[in-house]
Amino acid sequence: MEIIEKIKTNKLVEKQTDIQKICLDKLQSSPLPNPKSELWRLSNKIKFSNFLDYSVNEKNLKFDIPYPNNSQKTIRLIIGQNCQIQLIEENYSIQQISEDELDKYIKEQISCFNETENWSDLLNLSLSCKKNILGLRINGSKIPPIEIFSHASSNSLNAKTLVIFLEKNCDIELLQVNLGKDNSSLSQSTFFFLEEHSSLNHGVVSYGKNGSNLLNSLNVIQQKNSEYSLGSLHFKFNYARFEINIKQSEGNAKTNIKGMQITKKDEQISTYTKINFDGPNGFLDQINKSLADDKSHAIFEGSIIVPKIAQKTDASQLSRNLLLSDLAQIDTKPQLEIIADDVKCKHGATISQLNEEELFYMRTRGITLAEASKLQLSSYFQEIISFIPVSKERWDLLDKILNEN
Amino acid sequence: MGISFVRVYKSNCNKLFLDNMVNENLVKDVVKEPYKYGFVTDIETEKIAKGLNEDVIRLISKKKEEPNYLLDFRLKAFKKWQKMDEPDWAGLGYKQIDYQDIIYYSAPKQKEKISSLDEVDPKLLETFDKLGIPLTEQKKLTNVAVDAVFDSVSIATTFREELAEHGVIFCSISEAVKNHSDLIEKYLGTVVPASDNYFAALNSAVFSDGSFVYIPKGVTCPMDLSSYFRINSGDSGQFERTLIIAEESSSVSYLEGCTAPMFDTNTLHAAVVELIALDDASIKYSTVQNWYAGDEEGVGGIFNFVTKRGKCLGKRSKISWSQVETGSAITWKYPSCLLLGEESVGEFYSVALTNNLQKADTGTKMIHIGPKTKSTIVSKGISAGNSINSYRGLVKMGTKAKGSRNYSQCDSMLIGDQASANTFPYIKSQQPNSEIEHEASTCRISEDQLFYLQSRGIEFEEAISMMVSGFCRDVFNQLPMEFAAEADKLLALKLEGSVG
Repeated sequence: MEIIEKIKTNKLVEKQTDIQKICLDKLQSSPLPNPKSELWRLSNKIKFSNFLDYSVNEKNLKFDIPYPNNSQKTIRLIIGQNCQIQLIEENYSIQQISEDELDKYIKEQISCFNETENWSDLLNLSLSCKKNILGLRINGSKIPPIEIFSHASSNSLNAKTLVIFLEKNCDIELLQVNLGKDNSSLSQSTFFFLEEHSSLNHGVVSYGKNGSNLLNSLNVIQQKNSEYSLGSLHFKFNYARFEINIKQSEGNAKTNIKGMQITKKDEQISTYTKINFDGPNGFLDQINKSLADDKSHAIFEGSIIVPKIAQKTDASQLSRNLLLSDLAQIDTKPQLEIIADDVKCKHGATISQLNEEELFYMRTRGITLAEASKLQLSSYFQEIISFIPVSKERWDLLDKILNEN
Repeated sequence: MGISFVRVYKSNCNKLFLDNMVNENLVKDVVKEPYKYGFVTDIETEKIAKGLNEDVIRLISKKKEEPNYLLDFRLKAFKKWQKMDEPDWAGLGYKQIDYQDIIYYSAPKQKEKISSLDEVDPKLLETFDKLGIPLTEQKKLTNVAVDAVFDSVSIATTFREELAEHGVIFCSISEAVKNHSDLIEKYLGTVVPASDNYFAALNSAVFSDGSFVYIPKGVTCPMDLSSYFRINSGDSGQFERTLIIAEESSSVSYLEGCTAPMFDTNTLHAAVVELIALDDASIKYSTVQNWYAGDEEGVGGIFNFVTKRGKCLGKRSKISWSQVETGSAITWKYPSCLLLGEESVGEFYSVALTNNLQKADTGTKMIHIGPKTKSTIVSKGISAGNSINSYRGLVKMGTKAKGSRNYSQCDSMLIGDQASANTFPYIKSQQPNSEIEHEASTCRISEDQLFYLQSRGIEFEEAISMMVSGFCRDVFNQLPMEFAAEADKLLALKLEGSVG
């Protein structure tokens, strides 16, 4: 709880920026998330306190990225290591947002924060120094896929922030990779603002190492006629939280989410999503898959909020869970809060183990139990993995998950 | 059943066009039928002073000539209650209840002991007649044994002798305390412990009466049992307690109905129901709850904070809850099943309808503890007016619940654009060899279906009624015959005026 002590005494960061000051002030009144709130009730307190035990590390770290070399076709950015970004091509441009503009936008966001719901963002912004905040404005079309890396370093707590404005009619594929190191904590907050008619195909791959922790918060605001797709995968974290907060500010927007979390050993990984429809004709299709093995714990909570203004919303949410061990646990809670009457909303949840009939069929064909289980798992994973952009051809995520111990 | 909800409406809805279907202004034009059970019976009652303290509890216990163990049970519960905080997690937002401003014991004055129904105050019998509850034993056609609870006290139980021939005990809980003390001592508070929650603790401290049912080994109860709860005074709370024990291989179907007069104050109803099913026993518990819901502005109405729980102790035992919730200003109720016995079965079928400013937070808890246990949840919520209707349910598979299954289905229907429908299912599994399925949907009345019915000459409101009834059919099918008809009527009545 080293961080909390520092927050209380406000000694956390030297040369504080305005944003850091505002967030630290807010955090002082609620230095720890309220354990009674639904969003934190199931969080493992020991693991969470472990997250906060490390010191903040702001040093420039060289990091070997365990993924394939950068190909010329993609743009690769590493938060904390890019000083100046300005890419102006014939049909597109990617530019860094000016400090003032970034400041203004983040402050606006903070003013709407709720201390329980945005606790992770408050922590992130109070720790993230200027260098670790990357703000980009993107416009144009035929933009090459973008990869953005955030990484932690061993025995420290790192905070990285990403802000992206997608201008009108812009269309991009973006893969965000969060990498944990041995005994590390990473706080990642991401803010997307999608203008009208823009489209973002977003992938999030969070891949930890022994004893690594992650607080990953994703905030998306969608203007009308924008389309946002998210494919996410979280695995190998001692403790990880993925908070997704999507707001269709004027309705008439499309959101597709396919997420997956895999827990083994005594890990705890949770996904919390909140989708707000603040206008009519919104669309959501969400599926979240969990797999819990050994003594691990997987949690999913998703809420869909449809106020009176959001007529003709069409939203569906599905939580599918595989429980593979006697000592593992799964909690799932898909929820609907609806006031508009002319809507189609549904959700579903299942928890089961591998299909015995299918296993039996494969075994009668001479496939061993282990191989048959693997085959079944790969089909379970494939639906999500094939949805994650950029990674498809170059990174063999499926192989990584299946052969990971 | 189809005929039962063909009602005559005074509206001119058949002239409406589809586009105006949920038009606010038209809603107001539709004539509303008032709450028809809202009368007060002018009857001499015995009440104690307002307020709650140890002396009041001792007084209640003394009035009921209770043995010491029961007084201890009450006092312990009271001590626990004092240390507890009123729960607020459901966010129901009601005004604070002043627990010292409630009368905890109110009973119609009557002779010491009633040997036959003739000795019951005729006004009381008249009240139950008005409510459509046959207390007089001549009305044997209905073949339902009734225990009528008026304010805090049970006033009459019918068909006793016939039941006694089969060894079935059906009486008020105060009588059971006197005559079957061993059973009460053994089972009371074993399913819902006094410290279970705030309102259960309060009930355990001050409960005044309720029903007691004991079905001996191997007996199938020859008739449906029914209890009828009536709150009459405006300032007394109702705290009844029901205990049903089904011994090995026995079965019983129990019906519960509730009404209250109209007062502009809120009345507290905090009941506890405990069911215990042993090997191969089955209990079916049906409720039609129609407490006064308050007026259109939300003034008055009953606060219905009820703890209902069944324990499937024995192998292959079964507990089935079915409920139609239409009344109360606030309903807070989660009839639950603890599935301990191997292959035991829990069921929950619910229709909850809210209108005007009513709030209902209802659902169930299915706790799978034993192996091969099964549970089914079917919940239908209909919200109209400015009401809030939430389903909140928990399905939990414990580590030993190998081979267990759960299926849940929660459907909500919204009528009008001011009402809200929420679904909060909590699902937890610790057993890989078990399956949980949950699905939920929200819809409105389908315009196509409505158009089809209207084009066949069916009047607008009747068509709505038919569709609502169809929406609830899965649950109505589970209700005993008399209740199904009543429930259908009740829904039509409650919805009147909410669809324009």
